Amino acid sequence: MVNERLNLEKEIETVREDCLKPTRKWGRSTKIWIGCLLIVIAWGLYCYIHQLRAGLGVTAMRNYVSWGLYISTFVFFIGISHSGTLVSAILRITKQEWRRPITRSAELLTFVSLLFGGIMPIIDLGRPDRIANLVIFGRVQSPLMWDIISICTYFVGSSVFLFLPMIPDMALCRDRLTVCDTRFRKFKKWLYTKMAIGWKGTKSQWHRLEKSMTVMTIIIIPVAVSVHTVVSYIFAMTLRPGWNSTVFGPYFVAGALYSGSAGVILGMAAFRKLYHLEKYITPRHFDLMGRLVLALTLIYAYLNLNEYWIPAYKMATAEGHLLRDLFSGSYSIVFWTLQFGTVLLPIIILSIPKGRKPLMLAITCIIIVLGAWVKRYIIVVPTLLHPFMPIQEVPGDWSSYFPNYVEFSVTAAALAGIFLVITLFSKMFPMMAVWEVEDGIKIEHDKQRAIDIRIQREAEEARSRALETDPGIQPIKPDIIIG
Amino acid sequence: MLIREKFTVTKRYNTIAIALMVIGILAILGLYITHGAKADVHKQARFWGSLLQNSVYFLLVVNAVMFFICATTLAWGGWQMSFRRVSEAISACVPVIGIICGVILLLICFGNNHELYQWADPEKVKLDDSFQWKSGFLNKTFFAGWTIFTIAAWSLLGWKIRKLSRSIDDKPLTVEEGKKYMWTNTVWAAIFIVTFALTVMSSIPWLWLMSIDAHWYSTMYSWYTWASTFVAGIALITLFVIFLKNNNYLELTNEEHLHDLGKFIFAFSIFWTYLWFSQFMLIWYANIPEETTYFKPRAQGIYSGVFWFMFIINFLAPILILMSRGSKRNYTTMTFMAILILFGHWLDFFQMVNPALSKDHVPTMLWDFGVALGFVGVILFVTGRALSKAPLVAKNHPLIKESVIHHT
Repeated sequence: MVNERLNLEKEIETVREDCLKPTRKWGRSTKIWIGCLLIVIAWGLYCYIHQLRAGLGVTAMRNYVSWGLYISTFVFFIGISHSGTLVSAILRITKQEWRRPITRSAELLTFVSLLFGGIMPIIDLGRPDRIANLVIFGRVQSPLMWDIISICTYFVGSSVFLFLPMIPDMALCRDRLTVCDTRFRKFKKWLYTKMAIGWKGTKSQWHRLEKSMTVMTIIIIPVAVSVHTVVSYIFAMTLRPGWNSTVFGPYFVAGALYSGSAGVILGMAAFRKLYHLEKYITPRHFDLMGRLVLALTLIYAYLNLNEYWIPAYKMATAEGHLLRDLFSGSYSIVFWTLQFGTVLLPIIILSIPKGRKPLMLAITCIIIVLGAWVKRYIIVVPTLLHPFMPIQEVPGDWSSYFPNYVEFSVTAAALAGIFLVITLFSKMFPMMAVWEVEDGIKIEHDKQRAIDIRIQREAEEARSRALETDPGIQPIKPDIIIG
Repeated sequence: MLIREKFTVTKRYNTIAIALMVIGILAILGLYITHGAKADVHKQARFWGSLLQNSVYFLLVVNAVMFFICATTLAWGGWQMSFRRVSEAISACVPVIGIICGVILLLICFGNNHELYQWADPEKVKLDDSFQWKSGFLNKTFFAGWTIFTIAAWSLLGWKIRKLSRSIDDKPLTVEEGKKYMWTNTVWAAIFIVTFALTVMSSIPWLWLMSIDAHWYSTMYSWYTWASTFVAGIALITLFVIFLKNNNYLELTNEEHLHDLGKFIFAFSIFWTYLWFSQFMLIWYANIPEETTYFKPRAQGIYSGVFWFMFIINFLAPILILMSRGSKRNYTTMTFMAILILFGHWLDFFQMVNPALSKDHVPTMLWDFGVALGFVGVILFVTGRALSKAPLVAKNHPLIKESVIHHT
């Protein structure tokens, strides 16, 4: 008994140390990586300032296509942000024990991608200061207004959702900070103390934390669904062929879950490799996440069927032009590559158990995430090129669009920003919810103990039964069994 | 614990079922005399519309129960094993109602009255460009072929899955055999789900229901129809579970299982509302004439009473009543809610079919209630017989233990 307790404590101690280790030292490769990211961001900033000074004319966007790469990226980032809710909230609600080591990275991904996703539409404005007009003169009837409201709500919600389970970990960081030497110690001490908001681990504190976690878990799911539904409404409420489709809300939500959960797997794989968490994030986690992505991909494939099949059956004039362009025209290669390469192919790969092994799964998820990004582009751009009424008196080459260097640079900077925030976060805070993993170990331990006790009891019963028939066998004393 | 394995159909049960069927037949006859036999095509269409609405609704509901079985099989959802035989028995109605429904659909399609399926009228197709364009999909041959194929496929696959379930009743499985058994089940469930996705969740509602308003379309339609019947299907399972519990059967099922059924009804009612909202909101907001024609008579015209009443029953009632834990574990509340939801979605189907047929007034629903009761009688009769044929507990199923110790 005492031995077991010691073992458990030792195990928990290792978990704590393993989780805190990355926050203690900045290796050279980290510094180089951050440097590279900063260069990309600096170049992107330069391009953005150029765009601000010279106007949106420096991008490839014209009268036809006024929502290009920026808005596609916005939808994509918001889509990725669904990962946190999915993995964290849904798995929490359904009491999936295996979620424990991956919740933090999922929640972080939500937070960061939402942060940068929210900036993208502002970048798309030639006069970003006019965003204030939305608040000053905003009209409730406008989908843009709904969008701002829902994304802000989701951002606040997911920040709270990220922060709540961090409180006990912050207390842990605060208490352990004195043990090791680190740079910025004063700053860290201050930060951890502030973020731990006086956490002592008392019973009433735990109770409150668990209660608020339950409430947040339930609230965040409808909020997340509403966010992507409303994002889809920006398109669907506009009278444009291919956008005004009733299935658009669920279609976007399913697409978001599909790309978001693939994003979580990529995060899992990266942290596992870089921070040596192989012990906690096991092939089993990848297998289960792989199944989840498979199910979501199937739903997404089904919705693709609805989204393209029914308009194809109608083939009304404007929709007909758009669909012909997608099915057999200038976008057909991209369209079919996406359908086969990023929907059908992952379904096949993920159906095979070998396809759900960590490496193979990570590769598949890269395909899915890239595919989801290009897919957003395919939803946004071709529709804009096929308005119900042609735009008159504009140069002929305005009727085609491909993003130019300014748009690529700024978008790359946004992506680098996401990586930078994640890197800095992971160097400051533990990337696994330490207390949740600890709880998992304790539960596992209790289960094992219950099994041991049962085996012992059964053995004892067998013995006493044998004793009745053969009095030669010595009975075991009960205290030995319990001890 | 003593377990009553066999359900015996009591005389009273049988009498009620047969009485309901008689009511149904009388209602059909009455409707035929007052409407179907009249020379006016609109009156005739009312008769066929009522048959179409009821048969399709109840067929999709009992088939949704099979979908529930297959979805839980694929997800290894062990909790529902203790009442799995109930779901199986309900799904045994698919062939029976399927044949009734198939006959009605073919009669409408090949009959002389083209008020319902205007695309089946060669004269109208000649005059209408969009009918000509759609004739590759909306034509009698494809309609008949796909309908027969679909109903046959549902019946056969359902039969296979029920047979698989009963095949292990007399022989306990070893661990290895159990794994193999689960795998066979998974494969068949997957085949059913794929068939389901290609029929109920896509093409079938377009053919059977959406083609009544052949000029209008919505990409959401099939999914929406599915959500509607799925909630109703779970409500139907709940009703039978409660009925059996009240008659001292299903000893292994308790409030925990009822609670989870309640959660399903609650969750999928909200899901249905989400789909309803997505469809309605988009069309209302975009306000494109060719799309709003569908919702104009429903949301603002003479059908607005039915439309919003249906919305209250299917959304507000479940969210308000089933939100609390206690109500999901209460037999009375759950019975009330299950009946309410079955009725609510029946009303939903009523407003899907009728506005296209009866544009100036809402038809008296009394006849339709009669026809609906007839179908309820069929479900009671067939389910009762199916229940009495097999043991009520699938005792050798590998997941049964999980269901016994299940708690929410």
